[in-house]
Amino acid sequence: MTNQMTLDQFENKLEEIGYITERDDRIALTAYLATELGKPLLVSGPAGVGKTEIAKVLSEVFGAPLIRLQCYEGLDETKALYEWNYQRQLLKIQMGREHLQEEDLFSTDYLLPRPLLQALLSNERTVLLIDEIDKTDSEFEAFLFELLGEFQVTIPEMGTVKAKERPIVVLTSNGERELSDGLKRRCVFLHVEPPSVNKEVRILRAKVPDLPERLALEVARAVNVLRERLSLNKIPSVSETMDWAKSLLVMGKTGLDPAWVDATLTLLLKSQDDVELFYREMGAERLLFESSKVAQGERHVHGQQQ
Amino acid sequence: MDSNNDYRVSELDRHLVEFAQLLRTVGLKVSPSEISDATQGISMIGLVDRDKVEGVLQATLVKDIQHIAAFKEAFRSYFATLEQKEAWQKDVAQKATQWNEQMESTRQDLRFQENELDISEEQRAVYASLPEKDKQRLRDFLEKSSKGTRGGAPVDHSYQPMVERVLRGSLEYWRKRLNEDEPILAPGSMDGVLSEVQRALREREVEVLSRDLKKISPEEWPEVVRLIRRLSQRLASQVTRRYRQARRRGGLDMRATLRRNLRYGGVLVERSYRSRRKGRPRIVLLCDISGSMLKYTEFIWQFVYGLSTVVSGIKTFAFGEELIPLSGKFRKGQTFEAMVKDALLLTGKEWGGGTNLAKSLESLQSKFPDALSKQTLLLIVSDAQTLEVERAAALLGGVSRHVRQVLWLNTLPERRWLETPHVKVFLPFCQMYECYTLGHLTQILNKQF
Repeated sequence: MTNQMTLDQFENKLEEIGYITERDDRIALTAYLATELGKPLLVSGPAGVGKTEIAKVLSEVFGAPLIRLQCYEGLDETKALYEWNYQRQLLKIQMGREHLQEEDLFSTDYLLPRPLLQALLSNERTVLLIDEIDKTDSEFEAFLFELLGEFQVTIPEMGTVKAKERPIVVLTSNGERELSDGLKRRCVFLHVEPPSVNKEVRILRAKVPDLPERLALEVARAVNVLRERLSLNKIPSVSETMDWAKSLLVMGKTGLDPAWVDATLTLLLKSQDDVELFYREMGAERLLFESSKVAQGERHVHGQQQ
Repeated sequence: MDSNNDYRVSELDRHLVEFAQLLRTVGLKVSPSEISDATQGISMIGLVDRDKVEGVLQATLVKDIQHIAAFKEAFRSYFATLEQKEAWQKDVAQKATQWNEQMESTRQDLRFQENELDISEEQRAVYASLPEKDKQRLRDFLEKSSKGTRGGAPVDHSYQPMVERVLRGSLEYWRKRLNEDEPILAPGSMDGVLSEVQRALREREVEVLSRDLKKISPEEWPEVVRLIRRLSQRLASQVTRRYRQARRRGGLDMRATLRRNLRYGGVLVERSYRSRRKGRPRIVLLCDISGSMLKYTEFIWQFVYGLSTVVSGIKTFAFGEELIPLSGKFRKGQTFEAMVKDALLLTGKEWGGGTNLAKSLESLQSKFPDALSKQTLLLIVSDAQTLEVERAAALLGGVSRHVRQVLWLNTLPERRWLETPHVKVFLPFCQMYECYTLGHLTQILNKQF
């Protein structure tokens, strides 16, 4: 056991810090499993469903500092793992010492650790978030194998560096690119879908305490309709739902009406194409009508076996 | 080894290995290390709560969203009650018996002068599926052929191959008529659980990815378009990735530079550079617009159009008897068919007639020479049924030497390629993939980009 914690204790801890989960989404179970098995957690799902949040929550649960590597196209090991401090090395060379050995130059004194190495060298357990791994290319992915499998990296000039304290590794992916089997094999996999109406209401109530229950419910249902019924380029994220709810609260609203939907729609839909699609295929009145038909917890699956 | 305990496999391990085998059979990749993770996970969580067990197995054995449906069906079936499993097993055995009886009866029916005919099992199954009156027609034909004469003399066994060819042609016609290219297969697995999983997966309507494109109904369009959009966005992000090309210079590689210049006391006499990356491929799309191809082309065009919103410089051509340039002809909300019709109106040509890839490739080379370069990825969408097939293959060979790659998306199922001479001649000059479902399209793109 790495956590000295049972699953129930882990779930209680999540609740304590205000992270809302449902039995059906299996977030708590899978995250617990990954930490217990000492395996990286690979979280996939559309943008804005709270993938990155999972790493932050784990950091809070285990009291471990969060080290974040934001991935982008063209990211290589010099930005992700380590870089040599060339200025210092040049100075050292130019001091004109005789018998300067190469190994003198390539030692920890001249090493600039980047996030991956920082996580390995840390004396305390950390949470290493490798965000949007699908944005990197396959070479970088292959380069991560050693780190994700053995929690060690090999630096040509220095040899192998093993983790002092195994970090909890969370990788996120928006599914822009198929990840390699090698990477997936090394991870525990979690797919996160947008939240159900029930869950989103609970999140809204937790994060926006002054929000009236009726407004929270109407907002969550409306957003659910937008996600489910329209082929949007970008579905509204949980944080956008929250922004929308807050703005309605600020305006003193206790429920949704078409005029205010029109006035605040751009808080949810962030591209002209999506806004046009909304008015072409739905419109505010129909959105509210459809929302009223959404029974609370429509997407809730009981998981009972037949 | 000290004792037999070292060899003893626990019941749980055995079940997990069996379950992993089942998952592999339905298309998941499960490695031994993942089975080991699953075992550890189960031992932590326990076996009391079925839902948690499913959660643990899904987290450790499934690494792809597209496999979740198959996993769920496999879990439901494998961990079903013993009675339920026995019922499935009984059902499978019954189907297998029926099948064998059918095959035996076709062997009795389809004979020429008392000799069994050389036709495939699938063709026999087609015969078995025919209405009785059509079966009778075929039997009458065989009987007449067996008793026939030629030049006054009775025909002998040397006529059998000809009779077989006629019969195969007829059964092929019926196969298409009965189920539009879906194979009529034997009952499949004799394993009741596996058979149940396969049945359930076939029934799952969410499996749009694995359904033949031409069978997607109009009401499923919105979902399919959404899926296509997601796929093309994913591909776009891959296509725009840059590829390394070691021969050309990129930025200064400080680390290598320092190492090389240690001998000069830190004076940077020699410099090392990073390898430069080469540009993105330019895509040329050639779409076959023959009647049988139109539905497929419509989907693949939707896909490529989605791509073109992100990747500039995609050149699109349709081809029937002639090459029809379509770049810049697309209007928002317009279907591929409407776009082709508009383009034909402008050129004064008619839709219909045969398909002539040779003529189209010639036109492409002569009228649009800039379209084909070492940066070009030539995407052909066609079932390879074309006139002047040999000349078309020779021309494609020529084109393939001038472009980066030729990808051929063939809507004909791969199992039919070798029996289709038209397909075989093109194989040496391109990378050909079967592509009649969105799942195929996804797999191809993942392999290629």
